[in-house]
Amino acid sequence: MKFTLNWLNTYLPTPVTDPSWLADSLTMLGLEVEAVTELYPELAGLHTGLVTEVEPHPQADLLSLCRVSVGELDLRIVCGAPNVRAGLAVVVALPGTTLPGGIKIKKTKVRGVHSEGMICSERELGISDEHTGIMELAEDTPHGIAFRDAVGFDDTMIEVDLTPNRPDCASVIGIAREVAGLSRQHLVKPIAGAAFARRSTSFSVRVEADDLCPRYAAQLLTGITIGPSPWWLRRYLLAVGMRPINNVVDVTNYVMLEYGQPLHAFDFNTLTEKAIVVRTPGPDEKEFTTLDGVTRTLTDDMLMICDGEKPVAVGGVMGGLDSEVSDATVDVLLEAACFNPVSIRRTARSLSLSSEAAYRFERGVDPGGTLDALARATQLLVELTGCTAEDGGIDVRAEEQPANPIVVRADRSSQLLGITLSATEISELLEAIEIPATPAPNNTLSVSPPSFRVDLEREVDLIEEIARLVGFDNIVSTLPAVHLDFPTQDHSRILRLEAAAIMTKAGFSEAITYSFGARRADDWLRLGADDPRRNHIRILNPLTEDQDVMRTSLLPGLLESIRRNFNFQQSSCKLFEIGDVFFPTEQTTLPTETTHIAGLLAGNRYGAHAPLYFKAEPVDIFDAKGAVQALLSQLRLSTDKDSDGITFVVPDEQSREPFADQHYCLSLVYENRAIGSLGKISADILRSFDIKREVYYFDLDFASLTAMVGTPRSFQALPVYPHVKRDLALVVPTSTPAQDLVETVMGSGEKLVKQCELFDIYEGEHIQPGHKSVAMSITYRSATKTLTEKQVEKTHAKLITLLSRTYGGAIREA
Amino acid sequence: MEQDLAELHDEATALLTTITDAAELERFRIDFLGRNGRISAIMRRLPLVSKEDKPRLGKLANDTKRKVEQAYRSRQQELAAAAEVSSQPSPDLSLPGRQPVFGSLHPITRVMEEICTVFSSMGFSIAEGPDIEYDHYNFAALNIPEHHPARDMHDTFYINDSILLRTHTSPMQARIMEARQPPLRVIAPGKVYRCDSDITHTPMFHQVEGFLVDERVSFADLKGVLALFTRQVFKKDLPLRFRPSFFPFTEPSAEVDIACVICEGAGCRVCKRTGWLEILGSGMIDPEVFAMVGYDSERYSGFAFGLGVERIAMLKYGIDDIRLFYENDLRFLNQF
Repeated sequence: MKFTLNWLNTYLPTPVTDPSWLADSLTMLGLEVEAVTELYPELAGLHTGLVTEVEPHPQADLLSLCRVSVGELDLRIVCGAPNVRAGLAVVVALPGTTLPGGIKIKKTKVRGVHSEGMICSERELGISDEHTGIMELAEDTPHGIAFRDAVGFDDTMIEVDLTPNRPDCASVIGIAREVAGLSRQHLVKPIAGAAFARRSTSFSVRVEADDLCPRYAAQLLTGITIGPSPWWLRRYLLAVGMRPINNVVDVTNYVMLEYGQPLHAFDFNTLTEKAIVVRTPGPDEKEFTTLDGVTRTLTDDMLMICDGEKPVAVGGVMGGLDSEVSDATVDVLLEAACFNPVSIRRTARSLSLSSEAAYRFERGVDPGGTLDALARATQLLVELTGCTAEDGGIDVRAEEQPANPIVVRADRSSQLLGITLSATEISELLEAIEIPATPAPNNTLSVSPPSFRVDLEREVDLIEEIARLVGFDNIVSTLPAVHLDFPTQDHSRILRLEAAAIMTKAGFSEAITYSFGARRADDWLRLGADDPRRNHIRILNPLTEDQDVMRTSLLPGLLESIRRNFNFQQSSCKLFEIGDVFFPTEQTTLPTETTHIAGLLAGNRYGAHAPLYFKAEPVDIFDAKGAVQALLSQLRLSTDKDSDGITFVVPDEQSREPFADQHYCLSLVYENRAIGSLGKISADILRSFDIKREVYYFDLDFASLTAMVGTPRSFQALPVYPHVKRDLALVVPTSTPAQDLVETVMGSGEKLVKQCELFDIYEGEHIQPGHKSVAMSITYRSATKTLTEKQVEKTHAKLITLLSRTYGGAIREA
Repeated sequence: MEQDLAELHDEATALLTTITDAAELERFRIDFLGRNGRISAIMRRLPLVSKEDKPRLGKLANDTKRKVEQAYRSRQQELAAAAEVSSQPSPDLSLPGRQPVFGSLHPITRVMEEICTVFSSMGFSIAEGPDIEYDHYNFAALNIPEHHPARDMHDTFYINDSILLRTHTSPMQARIMEARQPPLRVIAPGKVYRCDSDITHTPMFHQVEGFLVDERVSFADLKGVLALFTRQVFKKDLPLRFRPSFFPFTEPSAEVDIACVICEGAGCRVCKRTGWLEILGSGMIDPEVFAMVGYDSERYSGFAFGLGVERIAMLKYGIDDIRLFYENDLRFLNQF
């Protein structure tokens, strides 16, 4: 809602002079001021002038040679406007002035004739798009004064961001009521308490759909001369961003802004049978052309204003092209009505039409203000167009349901707000903004909200008013007296935070990517036709095609982040995300949301850290595997095969992720179910994502991890006796997994064996082709004594026998 | 002879302190302690002394020899240690330390956890709800019926007629109140979605919802709790401003502004020259919302609030473009 300070002041007994005080006060009343703009400061250098003589330009037919008085100056100005004539009051830009468009005015020669300035059009002044001629000022405008003063542009525009509950303030009068209330004064309305002297017989009104139209009033005006509005009216409209059209349309707009009551003017002579029928469309009425020239499709539930035959307007939303007021109009039927807010909203939405009228109707227009606004518009039109208003009109109103007064308890109000208020104090507060409140027994008040406050229906609505009028700042903060207890904890949330902390310690930075993505990414990842991740939840109204489905994997978002980082010359990228993926269920139930943790590794293993010590080495699959192992072990989740832990398994062709390199991929299996995977992303997949470096990934179903129970922390006695380490190396076929050898040692049943670690894998010279040497270090220790050389030898020899028997390899003893 | 020994001892010890290199020390050794040295020379005179003085002077001579030897050895050690120190090259300690490589938490996670920590310290429990939500919980249960103009405040992504991407974390109010009885103190952090994208809006962002329901909870309490919260999060005692606003699920409703963290109220570009920054929406829970979950609004009252995590993170860290949060540029992420 926009208005100007001068406009507002016309309704106030004491004018407001300080716009910033006004802005603060309105904001603190809940009418948030969005903008306070001084109007047209750039027009400060312009002056008024009087054209005294006009002669044709000797060299150009379309130009005139004018003499213009600007105070004591007598200027010669060349002008191309068709409407320039002697006696016209105009706007003059003297040499040296800069116009809003940036044009600097200089003394110049136009087709050989001197010109000492410029006479301006409205477009040149930046106040409207009007450029068919120069701007015409009121006849009695003195010449030589500042243009802004002459036209009342010395004003401030204020814009309020209205909340949907305050349609009463979608009017300058509504704002004025609040401002007057601040100083316990009442505003002055141009017209109040209007009523028709008699019912008109010049036309008829029939409301068939009275549920959608609780009130419909109309007034006939005859003998109108359509023309431009006077300046005072146009300047208010221009200041609030409305384009002046003609006196009739401008008056309806002005009164709508003034009273908050939308009005519509029909060209009376286009109405068949001189009748207005308010109804829904008939079976044959499928289309209607609104005054913007667009043909719109109607539905059964739309409320139409019709004449005796056909629709002439979409009720409360927009008028029709055929009944619009034109330059030829002489008689006008002026409508002021109230419509059902939900119906208006539905209609405006389905027609994709928003209008100032619909904005007000869908929030609720004061059903008690209809005739005042109609009378005000009639008064202005009579004054401005010289028309005749019929004595009387038609007002069709659904029977009023007298609303029961609302009981407001002073105690309840005080308790809910945390202050102490008496019934008398409350009554004074409410009366200031014209809400009558009469004292009732037991420290209560009986309140009958005025019709313009459609938002006040319950006691709590009035308690809100009380709080607003007291001022939120005047309510002193307290802290609630609550019972002490321990908040319940969400296990999965705690685990998620723990996992994030572990990953950052492992060198990964946390990413957050959008929960939606593009279906195209499924193809890029080569997901199979029956891959469940192809089954996306679709967004009906996506912002872009790239964000039209809910994600089923975190990887596309992370890959995009990696691509970006490499574009910005990062040498090393380790990113992880813990986020939800979404899978559809039935239409009527909520989808499944499952948390995943995924990460990508690319570039240098040690990041940008001191290259002095950490030579640049590319990450490989064991960085990805190590990250997952570290995560699981820090979360105290077992990866021990024997204790039903999570195991790393080389997947077969079927179960391998389609985007993973066939040689570099591992599945994580828990209770015979894959709960994730890790590996290298295939080069061709990376090309689809426009990434030119190797990328390794891991992706785990975090919800599965949450369901597992971590090994509890418990103490084990420290070893007392020293250990002995022995190394051995076994030559085995290249295809034998080295970890099998370790497991054979650890699973040998030898009690002295405490640990077995791989420390070298060697292929090449001295090793037969197709084979590798696997070197291990075995730790022996007894819990009861210091081991002798002989005892260690004995066990070590047994292990050698076991290994060579199991793998048939030659031992290369270290 | 007694005197000779005493003079020799004093001379030897005095001389030792002046010796600084190995050659000099070796000359000292030969001169004093050698087979033909000065102590030996004195000792060779022993056979010449009287029988009764012999044992005493013999012991004295031996003691003197031992003392000089001792002084010589200790000087020898001192010189050796000094030689060791001066022969080692000194390291260049200007070289960088060998740091372990760490990653960083996303600033949104960081701020969200900070917010959660402040409230859980005040006894609020933390609950999370689904991102994809029923229209019912997102709107109707919060007193926003279909065709209410308040729906204009939410540019909603729809999945179908009755299912949508939640536009705020407020549905958690309805979900939790439906499942539990007062007293309640809960916060609900999470992702929310609106179809809006420009320099100040991303289609996905984060909110933290909070509410407290008990007997005799007042608007003054709401002010108190939120003042405590902002003081903790911004680590400054910034002035707060509560101004009337409208949310269908609270009444009275208040927007909360803090004095601009950039200009401290003087007026700058960030606060659009108002000196204030809007940081959260709040209010007393509307009786309609209580009625829908079967709470007696005569007995219970409560307040609710919702705050935008991005907004707070931007103010706290001085971030000027919301889109940076979702680009995951390491140059950005590693600043936090």
